[in-house]
Amino acid sequence: MSRILELKGISKAFGGLQVIDGLDLHVDEGEIVSVIGPNGAGKTTLFNLITGVYQPDRGDILLEGESLLGLLPHKITQRGVARTFQTLRLFLNMTVKENVMAAAYGRTRAGVVRSILRTPGMRREEREISALAEEKLAFFGQRLMGYRWDQPAYSLSYANRRRLEIARATATGARLLLLDEPAAGMNPKETHEITELIAQLRTEGGYTILVIEHDMHVVEGISDRVVALDHGIKIAEGTFEAVATDPRVVEAYLGTKAAATK
Amino acid sequence: MSEVEGTPEGPKIGADEWVARSEERTGRRGGPFAPLVARAEQLPWWVLLVAAVGVSALLPFVSSSEYVIRVAVNTVLFALLALGLNVVVGWAGLLDLGFVAFYGFGAYLYALLSSSQFDLHFPALLSVSIVIVSSALLGLLLGLPSRRLVGDYLAIVTLFFAQIYVVLATNADRITFPWNDGPTDISGGPNGITDIDPISILGYEFGSIRSYLWLSLGVFAVVVVALQFINHSRTGRAWRALREDSLAAEMMSMPVNRLKLLAFVFGAATAGLTGTIFASVQLGVFPQNFDLPLLITVYAMVILGGAGSIPGVVIGAITINVSLELLREPSNARFLFYVAIGLGLVTLVRPWRRLAAILVGLVVFGIVAYQLTEWLRPAWVSGTIEGGRFASVLDGWVIHPVNSVHLGNAGFVLLIVALLALTEVRGIWRSILLVPTLYLAAFVWENRLVVEPSVTRILLLGALLVVLMSWRPQGLLGSSRVEIV
Amino acid sequence: MDWDFFVQQLVNGLTLGSVYALIALGYTMVYGILKLLNFAHGEVYMMGAFAGFGVLSLFGGAAGVTINVVLLIGLMLAVAMLGAGLLGVAIERFAYRPLRNAPRIAPLISALGVSFFLQSSALILFGADFRSYETYEYIDLATGIHWGPLNISVVRIAVILTAVAMMLGLTLLVARTRLGKAMRATSFDREAAAMQGIDVDRVIVATFFIGSALAGAAGVMVGLVFYKVYHLMGFLAGLKGFTAAVVGGIGSIPGAMLGGLLIGLSEAFITGYVSSTFQDVFVFSILIALLLVRPSGLLGKADIQKV
Repeated sequence: MSRILELKGISKAFGGLQVIDGLDLHVDEGEIVSVIGPNGAGKTTLFNLITGVYQPDRGDILLEGESLLGLLPHKITQRGVARTFQTLRLFLNMTVKENVMAAAYGRTRAGVVRSILRTPGMRREEREISALAEEKLAFFGQRLMGYRWDQPAYSLSYANRRRLEIARATATGARLLLLDEPAAGMNPKETHEITELIAQLRTEGGYTILVIEHDMHVVEGISDRVVALDHGIKIAEGTFEAVATDPRVVEAYLGTKAAATK
Repeated sequence: MSEVEGTPEGPKIGADEWVARSEERTGRRGGPFAPLVARAEQLPWWVLLVAAVGVSALLPFVSSSEYVIRVAVNTVLFALLALGLNVVVGWAGLLDLGFVAFYGFGAYLYALLSSSQFDLHFPALLSVSIVIVSSALLGLLLGLPSRRLVGDYLAIVTLFFAQIYVVLATNADRITFPWNDGPTDISGGPNGITDIDPISILGYEFGSIRSYLWLSLGVFAVVVVALQFINHSRTGRAWRALREDSLAAEMMSMPVNRLKLLAFVFGAATAGLTGTIFASVQLGVFPQNFDLPLLITVYAMVILGGAGSIPGVVIGAITINVSLELLREPSNARFLFYVAIGLGLVTLVRPWRRLAAILVGLVVFGIVAYQLTEWLRPAWVSGTIEGGRFASVLDGWVIHPVNSVHLGNAGFVLLIVALLALTEVRGIWRSILLVPTLYLAAFVWENRLVVEPSVTRILLLGALLVVLMSWRPQGLLGSSRVEIV
Repeated sequence: MDWDFFVQQLVNGLTLGSVYALIALGYTMVYGILKLLNFAHGEVYMMGAFAGFGVLSLFGGAAGVTINVVLLIGLMLAVAMLGAGLLGVAIERFAYRPLRNAPRIAPLISALGVSFFLQSSALILFGADFRSYETYEYIDLATGIHWGPLNISVVRIAVILTAVAMMLGLTLLVARTRLGKAMRATSFDREAAAMQGIDVDRVIVATFFIGSALAGAAGVMVGLVFYKVYHLMGFLAGLKGFTAAVVGGIGSIPGAMLGGLLIGLSEAFITGYVSSTFQDVFVFSILIALLLVRPSGLLGKADIQKV
């Protein structure tokens, strides 16, 4: 089993605030790893570092053995990492299908000239992109299918929008998905569905997944391994049971007194 | 459907049931043209294109007036400019205020290559190709340092560039190069370059104005086709994604900086191409052809028509250019003004009882005001209004002194105050205030604005932009957008 | 080395710099609070210049000034500042406030519209002819400091000193008063400021008023020093004022002052030593160069965007 993602000694500070400090993290192929921790622990910053929005002050990020440092975000995505956002960032005025098709940009090559001339190569590529989008959307059952394809993204319900964002991420051709609080704001039924969906992404889709989540039901349901962060450092790592009962983790979430009573 | 006066209908967010009601989807366009647009949307775009171009091409057989055909050619050129700007502003969402500089560059370069300025007389196809490539390169040059700039900075930098261009064009007639004795005249200075060769393709020389109409319609058709194809390709999707959320686009494998640059270059090339046609139709280019009033005109066309919509910006171009032409001649301008006010009242004031009351009140108000003024200050009504169908009616209704400048200016200031006050009041007071405001508008129009068309057009365009942004940012044919800021 | 010429350009630069600084302050303050580039700011400056001219005409015109000159200039400044301030407030209220929650491009286009509307209004109201303050008619320009190569007329001294005084006043206002504190808080985080009980709308109105008033004062000053007043003067001055604000670091008040000074000096020296027709080109190049190298400006802070 190969190591898809490896972070070695990653540190990042903003102004005087050390957001991430000496973090080591790894994700093996086919694993689902959850990252938990109180707000401000540096979890989304972690995602931003991996995807190239920020550059780490120290340390290295390796994707399948190759460093991602210095690469522009779109290049990192083309290398195989895609993410969703804590605060949904869809292309709201584009249709559902177009949202997914747009993400296939990095895997295709028809340029402006070929698009104007409608070369056979370009038309074939368009058909492929269209089929790809339909395939990725089909993953979510009937919710994003049929007439939904041509609806603008803003017309979707909240849960569907979260699903669309995941579908869009998969269309980039990435093998590693970074899901930032995929269950945020969902009711118990939807949460349950999302949990199953993430599991399916791994088993049927073959994706390797790194998840940030607050909802412990989801974390418990999907994770092979859990990493707990607090103030930018890793305070625990292991199975869900081990991490959930780790006193340092309890302290970080609930305070020292609570830890003392455990 | 909203019943509150003046509230724009926004799209319903997140309501899945909305999705199932597909007829309401076309209703979301709203606006006065909704039924027409709904029907037109059903037709494939190339049908609309063929119809539009076909009808326009028949124009020389309907009207033999050279003036009319010239206006038509100008309209097509404007439509081309609007299409180019649409790519930059409407699709990629970049506020490029230097756009007309590329237009000027294209025109001037063509002029240099095919005129007696340097005695180069390149064949048209060669000149045009050189211009397109050079304009693209210039766009690249300007775009490269600009692509990392956020919208506001980009706007200012490009605006500066537009200004620089005019400065250069006006002053590049006295540049001393080390390898020449004495100054070289590149741009002809304020007098521009004249005596440009007409375009000739494969032996056929485009001489008459009607042939230029057909030439520009042909170019227009080609450009529209190209744009439609791009819009439905990965580049078009990427541009639109970039406008929606550039960070998310970057994270979804789209190279945002490169795409911005591409949009910029594309817009520049389109503008440059349009410049060549302009130069050969006019047979001369001058620095003041490419100044800021032109910029605001093209922007108004794009915004009015609906940024992002190809048919929208074309309609915007037609509407505005025709209106501006009508403004030149007082009798036409008068006609346009009152028709526009009439249309505005009819569409905005509901129910019809209120509209009738306002119109009656307006007529009465005017009569009373005029009679009072005639009685108290006869000098103030001693001027005459002439020209056009309504002139004789207006002559007895609108106060019109002979020396109307000062009074007109006072009225102008008062009118602005009244208009601003109108936005603040509601209900019955709004209707009441509307009557004197309308009379005041007619007064200002007749006394100051109608006689200074070149200023009035900029005034109206500026006001149009402000009003559009506040009231209907998606323009006539655009669809309301959901923006999360 | 021709010291006379050098010093003359220096004085020119300082005068221009004071004016650009005042204009830049308006840009930077509004940008700090609203993240909006107020395109119409240059036109407010132009209106201020015309207002000052109006006062001059009211009191006899250049050739026959009927009141004490110092009083006259004080009145010009007062009227121009008040008028410009009110104009700025009106612009904010009608062209920008409805667009507070619209995407960034909307208020920019609205601002563009306002800018052209004001320019053409000025053309309609005042005509295309240049008006001239003709300062030499009522102030003896020979009075001033003449010491060695330094020749600076009393008008320029007054202008520079007034500008400095205004900038000092502004700095004190922002640093010491409650309004200043509210302005700083609002520019830092508008929502948080509102949640602390700060009336954000009022702060914004105050910001526009102060910034526009400063621009109006700048307009009068330019009229006094350079005489010519015309409807297009706002456009280029506005662009350069913006350049100054960006050079100094947009959002930073000391930055605007520094930027104004730098741009004024650059323009003076370029006009004097290199070329006067193409001085705009050079200023533009400075802007581009700076934006490439240090987009946050000299005294600005880099913007951190939360993802």
